[in-house]
Amino acid sequence: MKKFQLPNNFDYKNTDILKQFITETGKIVPARVTGISASNQRKITKSIKIARFLALLPYTDMHQ
Amino acid sequence: MNNYETILIINPNLSSKVADFQKKFEKLLTDNSFEIKKVEDIGRRQLAYSINNHHKGHYLLYRMQGDPKNISEIETKIKYDEAIIRHLILAVKNLSGEDSVLLTEALESKNKKSESTEEVSDKEDSKDSPTEAEEE
Repeated sequence: MKKFQLPNNFDYKNTDILKQFITETGKIVPARVTGISASNQRKITKSIKIARFLALLPYTDMHQ
Repeated sequence: MNNYETILIINPNLSSKVADFQKKFEKLLTDNSFEIKKVEDIGRRQLAYSINNHHKGHYLLYRMQGDPKNISEIETKIKYDEAIIRHLILAVKNLSGEDSVLLTEALESKNKKSESTEEVSDKEDSKDSPTEAEEE
């Protein structure tokens, strides 16, 4: 399954890569679905949370 | 000495005066004995959600080196600057000299507006291989 492509270096600025790991509603896709290693999942999660704070990614699809 | 990455989101209404702001902010950094390695003016960008009723923001990225003691000084200055709608200072292990993905994206979309057909095929290529964006 080649659905999830991991970046070379984990960067919160690379929103195209991070967008694979969030659902349509903005939630982070769980590790049991992504199937990537726990260590990589933590790095992805951290990057997504930073990107959300900087308004590069949405927290939810309910934003006004 | 630590490495830092600072991201500032400036009020989009002050986007035209951003050069003045950059001068002021760079002076503040150098006064606090920070060494600026790279500055990126990413420009106006759509926010994923509105911040203080702004739907767009002017992004600035600073890569710098300095003393952790002086970070709080800069934080307080940023906090009371009303032009900044959001900021983040991150400690990073290595400072990369390459352009960030945000900047290359911004430049690409600018080129796309000015030129027309050829740029489209370029963008499709970069989607397939994320390393290509870094090389540019």
